[in-house]
Amino acid sequence: MSRELSYAKAINEAQRQAMELSDDVIVLGQLADTPAGIFGTTSGLVDTFGVDRVQDFPVAENLMTATAIGSALVGLRPVIVHQRLDFMIYSLDAIVNWLALWRFKSNGKSNMPVTIRAIVGRGWGQGPQHSKSLHAWFAHLPGIRVAVPTTPYDAKGLLLESILGECPSIFIEGRSLFSMSGDVPEAPYRVRFGQAALRRPGKDVTVVAIGMMAPQAVRAATELAKEGIDVQVIDLRTLSPWDEQTVLDGVADTRRLLVADPGWHSFGAAAEIVATVSERLHGRLAVGPARVTLPDSHTPMSSALEQEYYPRDEHLMQSIRDLVQ
Amino acid sequence: MGHMDLSHRTIGNIGKYQAMELGNLESGLVVALYRQALRLRRTEEALIGEYHPADEMRCPVHFCIGQEAVPAALSMLLESDDYLFSHHRSHGYYFAKGCPMQELFAEIYGKATGANGGKAGSQDVSHVSNRFFSGAILAGAVSIAAGTAFALQLKRSTSVSVSGFGEGATDEGAFWEVANYAGVKRLPLLLVCENNRYATYSDQLKRQASDNICARVRPFGVRAEQVFGNDVLEVYRTLQAAFEHVRTGQGPALVEAYTHRWNSHVGPEDDGNNHYRTREELDFWKTNCPVVLLEEKLFETGLLTAAAKARMEAEIAEEVAAHFAFAKSSPFPARPDWHIANNGDATPLADRLLGTAVESEFNHFQADARLEPY
Repeated sequence: MSRELSYAKAINEAQRQAMELSDDVIVLGQLADTPAGIFGTTSGLVDTFGVDRVQDFPVAENLMTATAIGSALVGLRPVIVHQRLDFMIYSLDAIVNWLALWRFKSNGKSNMPVTIRAIVGRGWGQGPQHSKSLHAWFAHLPGIRVAVPTTPYDAKGLLLESILGECPSIFIEGRSLFSMSGDVPEAPYRVRFGQAALRRPGKDVTVVAIGMMAPQAVRAATELAKEGIDVQVIDLRTLSPWDEQTVLDGVADTRRLLVADPGWHSFGAAAEIVATVSERLHGRLAVGPARVTLPDSHTPMSSALEQEYYPRDEHLMQSIRDLVQ
Repeated sequence: MGHMDLSHRTIGNIGKYQAMELGNLESGLVVALYRQALRLRRTEEALIGEYHPADEMRCPVHFCIGQEAVPAALSMLLESDDYLFSHHRSHGYYFAKGCPMQELFAEIYGKATGANGGKAGSQDVSHVSNRFFSGAILAGAVSIAAGTAFALQLKRSTSVSVSGFGEGATDEGAFWEVANYAGVKRLPLLLVCENNRYATYSDQLKRQASDNICARVRPFGVRAEQVFGNDVLEVYRTLQAAFEHVRTGQGPALVEAYTHRWNSHVGPEDDGNNHYRTREELDFWKTNCPVVLLEEKLFETGLLTAAAKARMEAEIAEEVAAHFAFAKSSPFPARPDWHIANNGDATPLADRLLGTAVESEFNHFQADARLEPY
């Protein structure tokens, strides 16, 4: 039953199975048809499905997104891939002015089953133009689903759900997660949007973790258990929609909330979660909510500065201790 | 017009246009082209009549009076399976794809019976079952039309994706991504540029080194031809040749029709107080009104009589009046479920194809995972 796959291979398998299940699924992306296959996530697909269904694309991200939109109108289910999310910013017009509002503007007569995969770099000098996540930007948009999967299991299930669903989805992948491995069922399965995963039960404090912060949160919780602090870890898995109920239920029990968000501090996803919990559980919290985020700064290249920029395990642990003491 | 290069710099030298020719076009087709242009003109005039001071529409409308030739010609060339993407001056294109007038009127009035239930309005109207789409962010629609052409090619379809836009859209980088990709992939894409010279009040010759867009797309592998855009018959012939080229898999084509809008950029007023065009320029284009030029030709050749024209006018007036009555008497939309309006939560295909794994059977514990660089 148990079978381990890396995060990258889980993504590859999800696309392969979606393409087997539906002839309408195509994959477009710069170098998607090469053996390297975008860090292994598209390797081999062209050999199985041919050059029509797996295509390289000019360095024209806005047109690539528009091509996905126009293709969906003819019944295709395109998956487009950005090796770095930063390049996807060229396509903001297609995403914001067209894709996000297509269903709304058509009065529900036309849906857009378009999946945008965007990879976020971290570490080894990725610097300010290869590391932005911007999940909060996209979650702010009505009409777009945003997934931030952390485990190979979630990556496969959520990608299948995105490709074979009817709404446009932005699928944000942490490059540093790609070699992580975990249990992944072989048969195609779904992970629903708006359903968080309880990674660890705990009664003292709730940590809501997003994307790349989730493994760190689990690790911090494991360490803190040795100090007698019992940390509940909720991996949000999707930001739009996000699982308010699981978070509210968790915080109602622990009465303490910390949000760990791999995005900038101000006006970010963590702020939205803290605001919602504050609105709904006001007066029932033992202590004010806390956030662990990136500073309001662009990403430095230098490895020394990266150490300062990204929250380390000890930062997370200390922030949790501060909530319970 | 032969094959001399047209330019807004010199087009006024034509004076009164004399070059319209019936050629070998069937008389029934010629009369149908005229009726389509006249219907569009009368519709726009009627909308203008109701626009102010009643102010019941409360919807930005970019009227297309003066630019009837291209949509009229397209209406006789588009197949029902073709896709049409329009710019914000959308009404002529909407009719060209055979979409119902009453749903357009109701849409402009913001009513529940509108083509998009009042959510889109004149500049964003679409009619999905007729494969008609529009939008106000101009080059974006051209890009999407290229995507549709890409998919039609993948599906080995003989349908064509047609994109109508103004010369202003060719200021955008997005347009040139399309020219490049359509050329390299030989996409079944027909680009129809209504070059009316002005992006709102801004002269193309202030924005671009040349107003000859054809010359600039040809090196990309796009077949391109200019046409005097107020000669409905020549526009028809030029578009017909372009359709033939695209539909037979020979690659993309562009038709650049030189024309002029009579009203202000948006709304029915005269925006001449911005001093962006001269009285002489507007007079030239009104002298060469696309509807009147064709009408004169029809009378001259006996294809149309005064009595037949009067019948046509009466039919159109009756149709327009009925659609106003429908639009005005239709209810406003009720408050929607905002989530459902924006998000399609139903997942019929995923429900059918995907199983559900029992998550508790799998190890999600990632505490040993180390984030790796890069």
